[in-house]
Amino acid sequence: MELLDYSRANGLLTRYGIKSVKSEYVKSAKEALTFSKGSPIVLKALTDKALHKTKSGLIILNLATEKEISDAFSALSKRAEKFRPYRILAQKMASNGIEIIIGGKTDQQFGKMILIGLGGIYVETFKDVAMRTCPITKHDAESMLHQLKSSKVIAPDQKTESMVADLILKTSRLFYDSRLTELDLNPIILHDGTYDAVDLRLIQ
Amino acid sequence: MKTKYADLTHIMSPKSVAIIGASDNPDKIGHVIMQNYIDEGYEGKIYPVNLNSTGQILGHKAYKRVRDIKEPIDLAVIAIPAEAVPAVIDECGKAKVKGAVVVSGGFAEVGNAKLEEKLAETANKYSMPVIGPNCLGVMDPRTRIDTLFLPTYKIDKPKIGGVSFASQSGAVGSSVLDMINNEGFGLARFISYGNAAVVDEVDILNYLSDDNDTRVVVFYIEGVKRGREFIEVAKKATMKKPVVIIKGGVTEAGATAAHSHTAALAGSHEAYEAVFRQYGFTTAKDIRDLLNFAKIFETQPLTTGNRVAIITNGGGTGVLATDALYQHELRLAELSKDTEKRLRKEMPQIVNIRLPLDLVGDADDKRYSDALSALEVDPNVDAFMVIALFQTPGADSRVASTLIQYGTQMKKPLVVVSMGGSYTKAHKSMMESAGVPVYDSPGDAAASLSALINYSRYRKGM
Repeated sequence: MELLDYSRANGLLTRYGIKSVKSEYVKSAKEALTFSKGSPIVLKALTDKALHKTKSGLIILNLATEKEISDAFSALSKRAEKFRPYRILAQKMASNGIEIIIGGKTDQQFGKMILIGLGGIYVETFKDVAMRTCPITKHDAESMLHQLKSSKVIAPDQKTESMVADLILKTSRLFYDSRLTELDLNPIILHDGTYDAVDLRLIQ
Repeated sequence: MKTKYADLTHIMSPKSVAIIGASDNPDKIGHVIMQNYIDEGYEGKIYPVNLNSTGQILGHKAYKRVRDIKEPIDLAVIAIPAEAVPAVIDECGKAKVKGAVVVSGGFAEVGNAKLEEKLAETANKYSMPVIGPNCLGVMDPRTRIDTLFLPTYKIDKPKIGGVSFASQSGAVGSSVLDMINNEGFGLARFISYGNAAVVDEVDILNYLSDDNDTRVVVFYIEGVKRGREFIEVAKKATMKKPVVIIKGGVTEAGATAAHSHTAALAGSHEAYEAVFRQYGFTTAKDIRDLLNFAKIFETQPLTTGNRVAIITNGGGTGVLATDALYQHELRLAELSKDTEKRLRKEMPQIVNIRLPLDLVGDADDKRYSDALSALEVDPNVDAFMVIALFQTPGADSRVASTLIQYGTQMKKPLVVVSMGGSYTKAHKSMMESAGVPVYDSPGDAAASLSALINYSRYRKGM
């Protein structure tokens, strides 16, 4: 089992037309500051050893000033120490919106499967998810969305619905074509008629 | 991995049967099986095989070994101690037996996986389809084969019909089989396949999907051995006929060690559910669902519309039925203007002309018939739930026969709800044996209509 490095994961997503939020590895507070160019950023410590970055305190959100960034960088480095090896990723702060998860897993019996659900911190609370075996059709993608209790929360209008269905299709193609065995895009934030994949976990 | 699917024709419709382990001793399973073949009136040839045979068993010439028979044998039913089974399979292979059922237990289910592997290897060497081991085997009321070692007086044998039932578990299999007769529907094939060492659920689903006598497949599984092949066969099967499925073992431990959220959310049970949904299975959550769904699928036409007309002779039951519709993603139909006018003319003043249509307590067969004939042609109505409470003065056998007339001839699906004691039960069985599904509660009826509609939509690609 190998967790794909962020830039490789990002590259793979781009090839299948999936957008993710702008990100860069940083080695110092100074590099993080340069990356931010005055707009708010997020710092994340990436490690194979912790699944829940939020619970382990490995994400610090909404950093705007030089002081905020440098304080956060030191705090994060300290917390990440016990999860070595790790790298710190700077990300543009994504807009607020509805968080969803699109994921893939390899089932022992049925092979690769694709999943969608209400995402972010609610994933395991509500377990509101729909799943299909790969490959899927457009009809499958739409019916997955309709199956969710949160269907109207995720896609209140036709435009969002086709955007999300398309995103499920693209992700399932990526997953089906690749050597990946597991995949988490969680959360993907839906906002202002578009979306941003904020956190990527691609495993091969 | 097997590339094609096993042909079960010779197992289900054999012209000749060797019963290996047949005995004159009533305590032996082989005795019960052979006696059942005789009692059922099986018309093919029966060859009892027993190493200690003394001329005749149950009036048939006995053989020490399969090879001594020297006649073509379609099916061998094997009921001997486990250790001896692989060698007997080998003898069957040499004698060109076309298929076998191994009812004997004592294999992988008690940790004896090696012996089971040996059985499978031997069968595969001869490309011989083998059902079992550790199973009840097969029953077919048309060809009158019955390898079940259950004494006939203990089990209600179903009549001939269109529902085929396959079960990994013999216990679930035999109890459902016993209940089928009381639910009023008929059986096409019964297959209890136990450990699935050779013939597995994929082979069975494939066979039943091609089988013309099978209109509905009902399946109890605990797992699938060949996932991708299962999907391939399922795609074909569910486009031909409804497949009602129930999976045992839904709880799962170990999901906590997952590497991703997706893996944690998507356990093996969720994967099965996803496959069932994606490929058009009708999932039953318990045995009651299983029987309820089989019943509606066997007799009623498909419809993709979910507007249900409720006709009742009891107000309160109509209200409960309406609630049940909405709990199962169905809707109460609205009458068209034409139907309203027609009903106003035909119904007594006391009847409110709206759905649910309460024909009131003195409703007789004429009133049911008038209501149904008006609603049958209403384009706003897709399906019917007719409540007939037989405790009322007007409801009698004539109401039941009216419902039979509409329930068997209409192009729209109809289900009946009748709750009550022995008088009701008599009418229930009258309607069911004529091909009208009757349910004990509006909830069961609504769940069954919903299953029918969901399946119809799948078939139409909706």
